[in-house]
Amino acid sequence: MQQQEIHDFLLKYFQANECPIVENQPGHLTVQLTIELDKELMNRPFYWHYLEKTGGIPNPMKLTLITDKNKAPEKLRGENIHFGSPRLHQIFESTKNLSKYIRLYEHHPNGSRQTPLYPWLCMNVKISYQCDRKRDIYKSIGLQLINGRMVENFHDQLQQIRLTPKIPDYSFTLSPLVKPVSGMKRIENFLKMGIEAEEHTWAEEARNRWEKDLQLLDHFYEDVEDENESYLIEKQALQEQYEPKINITFVNGGLFYLTENAI
Amino acid sequence: MTVEIHFDSSWQDDFLHRIDNDGPWGNWELFKLAIEIEKQLVIPEFEGLQAPKHLPNLTPLPHQLETAKQVIENMNGKAILADEVGLGKTIEAGLILKEYMIRGLVKKVLILVPASLVTQWAQELNNKFYIPAVTQRKSYVWEQADVVVSSIDTAKRNPHRDIIYQQNYDLIIIDEAHKLKNNKTKNYEFVQNLKKKFCLLLTATPIQNRIEEIFNLVSLLKPGHLGSQTAFYEKYKRDARSLNDDKHLKELVNKVMIRNRRADTGIEWTKRHVETIPIQFSPSEKELYDAICDLKVAGDWVQASSFSVMTLQREACSSREAVFYTLKNMLQKQENPSQVYEDQIMSLIKRVEAVQTNSKAEKALELIQQINDKVIIFTEYRATQLYLQWFLKQHGISSVPFRGGFKRGKKDWMRQLFQNNIQVLIATEAGGEGINLQFCHHIINFDLPWNPMRLEQRIGRIHRLGQEQDVRIYNFAIENTVEEHILKLLYEKINLFEKVIGELDDILTKLEFGNLEDHLIDIFGKSRSEGEMRIKMENLSSMIEFAQTMKEEGKSRAAAGNS
Repeated sequence: MQQQEIHDFLLKYFQANECPIVENQPGHLTVQLTIELDKELMNRPFYWHYLEKTGGIPNPMKLTLITDKNKAPEKLRGENIHFGSPRLHQIFESTKNLSKYIRLYEHHPNGSRQTPLYPWLCMNVKISYQCDRKRDIYKSIGLQLINGRMVENFHDQLQQIRLTPKIPDYSFTLSPLVKPVSGMKRIENFLKMGIEAEEHTWAEEARNRWEKDLQLLDHFYEDVEDENESYLIEKQALQEQYEPKINITFVNGGLFYLTENAI
Repeated sequence: MTVEIHFDSSWQDDFLHRIDNDGPWGNWELFKLAIEIEKQLVIPEFEGLQAPKHLPNLTPLPHQLETAKQVIENMNGKAILADEVGLGKTIEAGLILKEYMIRGLVKKVLILVPASLVTQWAQELNNKFYIPAVTQRKSYVWEQADVVVSSIDTAKRNPHRDIIYQQNYDLIIIDEAHKLKNNKTKNYEFVQNLKKKFCLLLTATPIQNRIEEIFNLVSLLKPGHLGSQTAFYEKYKRDARSLNDDKHLKELVNKVMIRNRRADTGIEWTKRHVETIPIQFSPSEKELYDAICDLKVAGDWVQASSFSVMTLQREACSSREAVFYTLKNMLQKQENPSQVYEDQIMSLIKRVEAVQTNSKAEKALELIQQINDKVIIFTEYRATQLYLQWFLKQHGISSVPFRGGFKRGKKDWMRQLFQNNIQVLIATEAGGEGINLQFCHHIINFDLPWNPMRLEQRIGRIHRLGQEQDVRIYNFAIENTVEEHILKLLYEKINLFEKVIGELDDILTKLEFGNLEDHLIDIFGKSRSEGEMRIKMENLSSMIEFAQTMKEEGKSRAAAGNS
């Protein structure tokens, strides 16, 4: 992420959370936090607890973030933000937590014509391939809950469509034939089948490394009689170190009501 | 090949609940941002380092990046980092730790370091790596903090020990790991029973010296890598100095150990300027020294071990206070001192009292005023340390003491005072280890340790990565004393001070004749005449020279073989 991208991201984050932007200059950004966001980011539960008990006037903080030291005024006091800074990662986490589930309708141009909207279930996930190393991929799957059509890169396709949180006039939603809960199951199975069809040389190699170290370990303890505690600990450690696993984690998802040929 | 797939479905109920209740629903902008972030944070390759992208304010050196990559990609996260002093092992360990944390392979981390380095480690991880490392001060920290820095001596004691064994650590880092070379110690046993999923052992001292030390250290990291204990000793014990000869064993060790050498890193180091400053005793100091030497010649002093006479000689070259302290102890230790013994000591104490000045201290004062910049004075003796502090104060120079026995907080405080306010830091030997003082460029060796590695460590405090100026080392030696002999050997014969770091390791390893310090004690303690002493010193230095030539020949032979 370039510093400019970080700056744009931060601006969008605070705008989406309805924080007044006090100053937005190249290289820095000052925002007036809302009460909600102060609680979310500033980590001062005692202050808020005290305030609620005494009924005082809440005074949420202002936050100045410096995204480019060279462009920001020299004497400006604020937090330096870069890709590795804890504050940025806190805001990343907050972004993900604040908007995990969503429901939107297509804002179609059909005017006063009665328009049916088809329900789609969207799941955005991260798939992690893990042994003593790790890599991940991101996937976005959409499932149409009437005819069961499955679509990849669903989130990217949604970007072409105007969406609104309120159902547009003269529109009506079709009830899903596939229940959301079984839709989720279908997506899960689809992902799993895809993964099973892949080549997993990485896992094979990890198991080989594991096996090799295990043999060394056995050899080391072969003179020792009985159940040896440190042997068992080491054995457990090797399993945790090498055992290949694939984790599918949920990023976010939602229901989208779209016109028949939108996707 | 089938791999277990775990599908996280903890969110499903939450989602379904919102469908049933029609909300609350999230904000579309934030939803899109979350996806953007996820795309940024996904790491699509097993290989390569992500950490540098997260650390814009840190510029790791090429050998440090290469080491981090090696450990993760080829050593599966278990390695001995054995770079020569001052090449930045901490940075390497930090990079590896950061990489694992970014990739989500490591969360819970235990870092065991000498007590004097606990704060420094925690600060470096926080400031340089943005890793929220916490120093262990309360026992609940073990459970609550993810990254804990502690001294091994604290960790191995209960109640800590039991709590630590219950934690599920992903990565364990141990600094100064050469202290774990003996598998019969409590520390070794404690570390052995820790679960080591990923593990880094940091050491600057080469472990090639003794074959069993290698075996113990490697077995701690990766049991069985060098075989079982019996099998290993059957193979190697008979010929215990064979690590360098045994290619196979060397290769095996190199699979779990990385040792960057200063010479290979291609980094421009600042220079070391070494200056010997000969000093003459004042008449009363000379009388004291001679009186101590006479003890040996007289031989009527039954209790006098050659060792304590030698200690007194060395102390006499440092300060009368150091001598006095030892004499007092000698007297107190005897339950029923004989009259002769008591008389001997008392007469020496009289001589101590007769000494009114300290020639070295005066020279030091002159030098400090002339340098007009930060100076570290190293002395072997606490009494000298106290005296110097008082002496400098008399002349308007403030100083801070530093020694191994200080609590962690006090050490940090002293270091900070020295960095910000105070011109002189006076350190005893124990204070020399690990702490970084590269903001200073001058060292006075007020007296000399007899172990060359300790001398190297002293210099290593300031001559390390991050030192931007040339380093000046002043060695004080009183003429015509045991001190001068030592200095001649270390300085003139083996050119010790100008050796690049690490070469000395090699030479001493090649020698395989044990501890240099023991040899010196033997020479000075047991020689019956000046002549015998000189001959023995000659022998020792020619052995060292021999090892040096062997090393150089080995180098040219290797070069010829490669061409």
